[in-house]
Formats: sequence, structure tokens, C-alpha cells
Amino acid sequence: MTDLPRRSEAKAGPAVAVVGVTKLFPVPFQRRPVVAVRDLNLQVAAGQIYGLLGPNGSGKSTTLKIILGLVPPTTGSAQIFGRDSDSVASREAVGFLPESPYFYKYLTGEETLRFHGKLCGLRGTALTNRVGELLTLVGLTNAGKRRLGGYSKGMLQRIGLAQALVHEPALVILDEPTAGVDPAGAREIRDLILGLKQRGITVLLSSHLLGQVQEICDRVGILANGVLVREGALDDLLGIENQTELVLENASPETIAELKAFVAQRGARLTDCGRPKTSLERVFLEATQTFHE
Amino acid sequence: MNRPPYRAFSFGRIAAITQVTLTELTRLKLFYVPLLFALVVIGSSIFMARLTFQQEFQVVKDIALGAMSIATSVLAVVATAQLLPQDVQHRTIYTILAKPVPRIEYLLGKLFGVLLLLAISIIAMSALFLLVLAIREQTVLSETARQMSSAPPDQMADALRGVRASVFSASLLPGIAIIFAKACLLASLTLFVSTFATSTVFTTVVMALVYFIGHLQGIAREYWLQTNSAGWVTKLFLAFVALFFPDLQLFNLTDDIVAGNAIPLALFAKTATLGIFYTGFYLLLAWSVFFRKEL
Repeated sequence: MTDLPRRSEAKAGPAVAVVGVTKLFPVPFQRRPVVAVRDLNLQVAAGQIYGLLGPNGSGKSTTLKIILGLVPPTTGSAQIFGRDSDSVASREAVGFLPESPYFYKYLTGEETLRFHGKLCGLRGTALTNRVGELLTLVGLTNAGKRRLGGYSKGMLQRIGLAQALVHEPALVILDEPTAGVDPAGAREIRDLILGLKQRGITVLLSSHLLGQVQEICDRVGILANGVLVREGALDDLLGIENQTELVLENASPETIAELKAFVAQRGARLTDCGRPKTSLERVFLEATQTFHE
Repeated sequence: MNRPPYRAFSFGRIAAITQVTLTELTRLKLFYVPLLFALVVIGSSIFMARLTFQQEFQVVKDIALGAMSIATSVLAVVATAQLLPQDVQHRTIYTILAKPVPRIEYLLGKLFGVLLLLAISIIAMSALFLLVLAIREQTVLSETARQMSSAPPDQMADALRGVRASVFSASLLPGIAIIFAKACLLASLTLFVSTFATSTVFTTVVMALVYFIGHLQGIAREYWLQTNSAGWVTKLFLAFVALFFPDLQLFNLTDDIVAGNAIPLALFAKTATLGIFYTGFYLLLAWSVFFRKEL
């Protein structure tokens, strides 16, 4: 029996540490293997939401699998709360939602959560209570007795998220959590992820939906061809050092003209002036919500 | 929430995987096909063969045991073949192995799920088989009693004893146990093949070949042990077949049971041990492949 990294303890070191990881996949009848990940160094601090970005085939999923111990690295090592990913015990602290999960379709939502709870050692009343809590958390209380074969894509993602949280892990790893989900479902999942952060859970997610990552992540890493090409806090990466943004409300054309003149007088340059735009997601959500109402 | 401490090996986790595997398999209606086939064959044997009662009971036993053997073998292969490839294809395996579940526990849970399904199936088939035998026994007993109503009591008692002796023999249950042992072996071997197979179809085709090779294995073994003139390539091949493939013919005790011969305890113990050994051996092979398999 080993001591577990509880959420409170998890603050001490990084939640995830990837050191010098390279992963080669041999190709049959070819001398050169495919390089999925090359000399990757990565740290995810406890309590953060970290976004791993990159185009398809950039090595995001392979990196996540290495962290979870599902795939051994060719060189280097990965750790979860200081424990080597090779060890099964390291997975006590992790919940994982794979890309487009497809659970046992003949099980109901409730049975699925009970099964995953049992895998984490939960039993009896504690398990029953936890299953109820999670169904409420992901908004599937009414669908708990239905078989997963009849679930929509968004419902499957939500039950997937629930199974990842069944043992209250200190770290949750999500591979494309909103892939194939409609904007309303994606927003619900986004809110759930933000809720996890508020509860002190570290989230590592991979995605190529940049807008969503920008909304929720504290820090991001960008992978291209298996190489980490950019990494840092979101504010640092997105901010343009020599520019400042002002947003005015109810400004008349005269005020704007005066402002432009003042700016020019002070030796600065106004690079853009126009009406800020809302996001297409917001327009979509407002329109569909109004329609439903 | 009070999370229990992690244990390196847990029967609870294995039981959870076993339960889910069994639930999945029983809810897949496809797997009722071999079971229903066997039940129909066993059930219909009650209407077959109006010969002498000894021949009739031989035919019923032959058909029923044959159907049970085929149905459990097919069920063992088909049910096991789809477990691993489907879990990998649907990524279900990631959610399981991303939890603190050692890979050997995953394999054990899957195998036990299938073995439980096989046990339930064989119990259902055996119950029907014994019921059919009991019904036919009563019919034949009453017919015999009616035909010999004018015969002396001793003669009638002898005749009725003869009928009873030809229905239930001590070898019936050990014979059924050996059919189960063969199915366990096939399930374990299928699990091993599926650890490196890429699809359910591939596993099933390989297992169909293995099934036939397994029934010819005895010939290969004899040839390997006795022939000196064969080249080293042939001998190596025969040695591989003889050592790696199970001799499935050893598990065929139906002829003895049908003939009414008692299965010696030593033969039963040897065959059952062989079944358990092969089941464990293939499970270990499956684990050795699956242990470092990249998912």
C-alpha cells in the first residue's frame, strides 16, 4: 500500500513532469521509424489548466499516452506528482478522458460509473453516493438508467468526464474533450473544466480548437511534428508588448477624432479603430437559447 | 471523499472487470446463437431414434455431448476474440488502464468473464440434457414395465435395472467437466491470439486453424517422437506444433461416455490438469505480450 497524492498534497511539486521524452514508432519494412515526439520537456504546475495544442499528427495524443503510461517512451521519462508513469500506482491520481470515447454500450450510465468507481477501489455507500454526485455534476441524472448505446455524442463526452472524476483525482487529462460536440455541449464541458480548476484539480487537455483553449487555459504548449515549438503562460504568449488596447463605450465620432489627434500629438500611432466583434459561439448560443425559450 | 489505499493486486478490480465483461456478453444477443443451437439440438434429440433403448440413449448422449462441445468451443472463441480488439478500437481500454489497474488484472477479468459465461452456458445445456435423459428414461421404463407385465418380477426388475444403467452413468458429469476444460483452454488461447491480433476476424480465423491443428496435434507429436528420417526443418516444425498447440483430441471423451465406459479417475484428473495447465500457460503468454503492448 502506498500513500496517495491527495489534492491538498498535490500542490507541492509539478502535477506532470516530462523530461527528455522521445518516442519513435517503427514502420514495417522501413529502416526509418516515425518520430512521434522529439526530446520533449514539459511541466504542468498543480492547479493549472494546461493546453497542449497542435495540428493532427503533431504528437499530442502520444504525449498524453506516455504521461499515462499507456505507451512507453523510447527515451526520457514522465512523472505524475513525482511518481514514474511506468508504475501503475501513479494512475491513482489521474482521471483520463480519451478522444471520442466509446464506452460499453450495453451498460447504463450508472453502471458505467459504478464500474469505474470499483476499479478505483470504491465500494458500497461511498460508491453509490459518488455515482449520484457525478451524474448530477455532468447533468445526466435523468439519463443514468439509460444504456450508453442511446446516448448522444455530447452525453458520451459528459459520462466520459464523469468516469474520469469518479475517484476525485488530483489531475485530469482530457484528449480533445469537445471533439464532435455541438457548441452548447462544448460550452457545458468548458464550464465543467473551469469548475474543476476552482476545486483545485489540475487539468491537462489537448485540443486543436484554439478559441476554447484560449478561453480556459492558464498555460499552453504548442506541438508541431513532435517538437514543442512554443510554451508559456497564455497572457505572455498572446500579449503584444508594444501595443495597448482601449475599448470605449458610447464614444461619439468627435471624441474618437479628438482621441486620434491626441495620440498622434504624443508620438504614438493608432493602428486600429472599429467596432469590437462578439464571437460566433456567443451569437449561436444566444440564438438557439432564444429559439428554445 | 475517503479513497481506499492502492493495492498492487486486487480481486475487487478483477471482479469488477469480470462482471462488466459478463454483462456485456450476456446483453449481446449474438452469443445466444450457439447456446440456442445446442439447446435446440439437445431438446430435439428427445424425438429422435426409436431404436432399442440402449441405442436410443447412445444417440441422445452422442448428439447432446457433441452439441455441447461444439457450442462451448464456438462460444469460447467468438466471445473472447472480440474482447481486446474491440476495447482497443473503441478506446475503452484507455479509460480502464489509465486507472490504477495492472494489465494482468485486466486480462484476468476479461478471461474470467468469458469463463463465467461458458460455465453458465454449460450448466444450462447440461440441465436440459439431463432433463431429456430423465424424460426418456421414464418413458422407456413405463414401456418396458407394460411390455413385461406378464413376466416374473425378477425378470422385470432386471430389465428395469438395465434401462436405468444405460441412461445415467458415472462418466457423464466428468465428461461434461472436460468439455468445459476444453472451452476454457480455447478461451485462454483466443485471448493470447487477440493480444497481437489487429481485429476480431483475424483472431477468429487464426483460432479456426488452431482448432483443426489442435485435433491433429497428436499425429504431429507421434511423428516428431518416432521419426528419425525427417529433415531438421520438418522436425523443428513438428516440435513447435507438438509443444505449442494443445492436443484437443485428448479432451474428446464422448466416445467412451456414449459407449457407457467409465472414465478412469486418473484419466479425468490428467485431462482436467492439462486443461488447467494450458489455460494458465496461454494466459501467461497473453500477459507477456500485453504487458508492454503499446496501446
